[in-house]
Amino acid sequence: MPATNLLQGTLDLLILKALALTELHGLAISRRIAQITNRTFQVKPGSLFPALHRMEEAGWLASDWGDSENNRRAKFYRLTAAGRRQLQTETRQWETIALAIASALQAS
Amino acid sequence: MPFLSRLASLRRNLFTGRRVERDLDDELRAYLDQLTEEKRGAGMDAAEARRAALIELGGLEQVKEEVRQVRTGQVFEELAQDLRYGVRTLRKNPAFTVVAVLALALGIGANTAMFSVAYGILLRPLPYADADRVAVVFMRYFSRDFAFGTMCMRDYLMWKENNRAFEDPALFSGRRMDIGGKEGVPEQVQGASVTAGFFSTLEVRPLIGRTFAAGEDKPTTGSLAVLSESIWRRRFAANSAVLGQTILVNGAPSTVIGVMPGAFRFPQRETEVWINLPLNPPTRYGPWFYRGVARLKPGVTLQQAQAETNNIGLRMMQQNSYYKGLTLPILSLRDALLGTTLKPAILVLAGAVGLVLLIAVVNVANLMLARATVREREMALRLSLGAGRGRLVRQLLTESVLLAVMGGAAGLALAWGGIELIRAWNPGNLPLIDSVRLDGGALGFMVFVSMLTGVLFGLAPALESARANLNSTIKEGGRGGGASQARGRTRSALVVSEIAISLMLLVGAGLLLRSFVNLQRVTGGFSTPPRQILTMLISPGDRKYNDAHTGLAFYDEVLRHARNVPGVEVAAVTDSLPPDRQGDADSFEIGGQTLAPGELNPIVSDVTVGPDFFRALRIPLVKGRYFTDYDNQDSAPVAIVSEGFVRRFFPDQEAIGKRIKQSGPGFGDKWMEIVGIVGNVKFMGLTVDTDPAYYMPFAQTYGPRMFLAVRSSGDAASLSAALRRDIQSIDPGITLAEIGTMEQALTLSVSQPRFDTMLLALFAGIALLLAAIGIYGLIAYSVVQRTHEIGVRMALGAGQADVVRMVVRQGASLAAIGIVIGLGGAFALTRLLRTMLFGIGATDALTFAAAPLGIMLVVLLATFLPAFRATRISPVVALRYE
Repeated sequence: MPATNLLQGTLDLLILKALALTELHGLAISRRIAQITNRTFQVKPGSLFPALHRMEEAGWLASDWGDSENNRRAKFYRLTAAGRRQLQTETRQWETIALAIASALQAS
Repeated sequence: MPFLSRLASLRRNLFTGRRVERDLDDELRAYLDQLTEEKRGAGMDAAEARRAALIELGGLEQVKEEVRQVRTGQVFEELAQDLRYGVRTLRKNPAFTVVAVLALALGIGANTAMFSVAYGILLRPLPYADADRVAVVFMRYFSRDFAFGTMCMRDYLMWKENNRAFEDPALFSGRRMDIGGKEGVPEQVQGASVTAGFFSTLEVRPLIGRTFAAGEDKPTTGSLAVLSESIWRRRFAANSAVLGQTILVNGAPSTVIGVMPGAFRFPQRETEVWINLPLNPPTRYGPWFYRGVARLKPGVTLQQAQAETNNIGLRMMQQNSYYKGLTLPILSLRDALLGTTLKPAILVLAGAVGLVLLIAVVNVANLMLARATVREREMALRLSLGAGRGRLVRQLLTESVLLAVMGGAAGLALAWGGIELIRAWNPGNLPLIDSVRLDGGALGFMVFVSMLTGVLFGLAPALESARANLNSTIKEGGRGGGASQARGRTRSALVVSEIAISLMLLVGAGLLLRSFVNLQRVTGGFSTPPRQILTMLISPGDRKYNDAHTGLAFYDEVLRHARNVPGVEVAAVTDSLPPDRQGDADSFEIGGQTLAPGELNPIVSDVTVGPDFFRALRIPLVKGRYFTDYDNQDSAPVAIVSEGFVRRFFPDQEAIGKRIKQSGPGFGDKWMEIVGIVGNVKFMGLTVDTDPAYYMPFAQTYGPRMFLAVRSSGDAASLSAALRRDIQSIDPGITLAEIGTMEQALTLSVSQPRFDTMLLALFAGIALLLAAIGIYGLIAYSVVQRTHEIGVRMALGAGQADVVRMVVRQGASLAAIGIVIGLGGAFALTRLLRTMLFGIGATDALTFAAAPLGIMLVVLLATFLPAFRATRISPVVALRYE
């Protein structure tokens, strides 16, 4: 499994995407990212939690304590309205970049 | 919206920090629990699952630290933490803290005080508009020895008419004045006679009333007076009704037209009255009492003005054959106020105190380096616990700033006290002392420099240890890897430089001290003990005493009263007093001498004395006789000359019986016969070497303002009240001034060298103390470092003496290197002192030998304590050490 070095922007985008459908707690976010990226990205807690707290302070995420699937207390994160807007913006940006990079690489 | 969200986070992080922390801890623990559960679900047993989860988490504290780093307001939080931690660290090492703060306080305090004094005297703008455009014009010519002498009215008018560089020139002369009137008892004050343009040239405004208007220096203008604020408050209770009032100045009526503010102190600091000086068209040259003051025209430099004035000087020489080698030096107002000796002295002292700051800073650097070594392990530990390197650096920075701020605060207190002391006491009789104030810029600069030092020398090793291999550092326990060995070398170099610098200062202080001792040994030429001589300046205060007949009777009465005061042995009058109160100086002619046309004998002190003057001061008679009561108006004119006078003008002849005469048109044909030769007396300062003089009897050359000098059987100071009362009882118009003993006069005359010497000695003392602390710290530290080695040596049979010798040798060899460097530096630098020295050269062998010995002694003392401690090391304990 490749230990991919995540760019900060990419991590933000992945977290926003992971939370797009429902609220999740920390471990679930990390598992969800692994799942939606076909296990390409394994987010370690040392990167995950600083990112979560930073994004919460930026107003993109909100958090609340709740009960997890096996009835343990856990902190759940969800997107705010600002977070949804941020997801759209970052998605658009990413698509532009991806397209540009891809065409650059295909050029002979 | 994001901004508001940030603001909310900041508020939360700062004010509910503990809850935020608990929340984070809960969150991470929950995460850990979930992870463990997941692993158990995958079939691990409880312990194994927990371990795997912990590994995956990657360290609870590290994750927390990472999260904290991204929080808004983290900077404040960390700063507060660093401050708390810094204070705790400093309090845990009181010896380190006290020494570092003390070193900084001494360095910062001494420098701030000295630079405030230097700035106030040399740089602070004078309280006159555009003061750097104002210049003072002096005159010097061949037969006078003064570098910045005075001119006569005729010279001034010629200069004024021909100069194009200045506008509004004025002429002034300072002199003593008797002030009397119906407002109170008469008193003698310092006054100045000035022409009408004086105040307008200086562009000063009166507090009340007006100053002299243009043209108010005509011979037909009545006498007008401008008062100082001080005399206005003292004699007129600050009443504005003083304007238009008539007061008596030297017995003549004068109308008060204005009062100057207290800040105006020119030409002398003590000047209290300005009188308009009538510009009478002079018919002859002399008297040479005056100096000019003028403002440069816009666009003209002082150099251009000087060049033009030099040309005028050349023409003056052509017109008057008396003037040989005439120059008209022009000085800026500040330089004119400062004189020639003060500026170099202040620059030397400022340089010296700069060296003290350097030593203080080196000392702090040394302490920081020593501590860095001790803290290597702490730093490594904090790094491994997840502290960022930036965070460690910031922590050390905070500690340095804390030290600098504490040192700065203590230094500020020291500087403030020092400046107040200097201002109140004015030990060097400094002109412009009134513009000395604590200088914020100087203080800021000093604090900045010391902070920088702390940061540099605290940071470099911290960064270095932050890079070091954590494992080896922790294991080693800070017991000296390669880094700390290099650091040891740096510390040795720092101590060597401290020793070198303090040696330079010590040599400088030693030279000034020896010079001052020489100065103290100089006698004024009299052998009555200075404390048994009381002198005062007397003026009868009325114009009627300008007549010799009335005046001589008055002074007979004064002497009769003085002699009746119990304790007075001898009383006499004189117009000059040692060591530096020269009355008149003039040229003279020698009977039978033929001089080339326009040639003139040098100008020497001519002293008018009563018959008992020589006996009162005990000035030895070398040959012939003293004056007697029979040398009076009815007898043939006589004179007494000094030994120096004989040596210079009658080297191989019998002087007694020769005739001399005062030069100049005013003196007629009064040839005086030399009847006696007396020992040399200093009238122009203790440091002036050859000082020939001739004396004339008071009864044959009367003048109304005279010194009374009495010799008492005991302490003369106790006589002053009785003498003052008795003399005052003769006539209420009498004014007395400058009452004091000869001892006080001698002390005052050497006040500037004393000031220089004391300050430089103080600076050298501080430097030596700091250097001693530095070397003590280094040796004590190295003894601790070498505990193991010393233990081994002792176990192998080394005696206590061997151990002491080993430790002392380390200190002594550092001192030796420092001394060699310091001697070289001292040799190069003490030449700057040359003009300040009296009676010794700048490379005085005794000083250059004694100072290194002194340093060596201090170093050995500082080394002895740690050496002694080394001998108490028990081999068994030492070998077990770590």
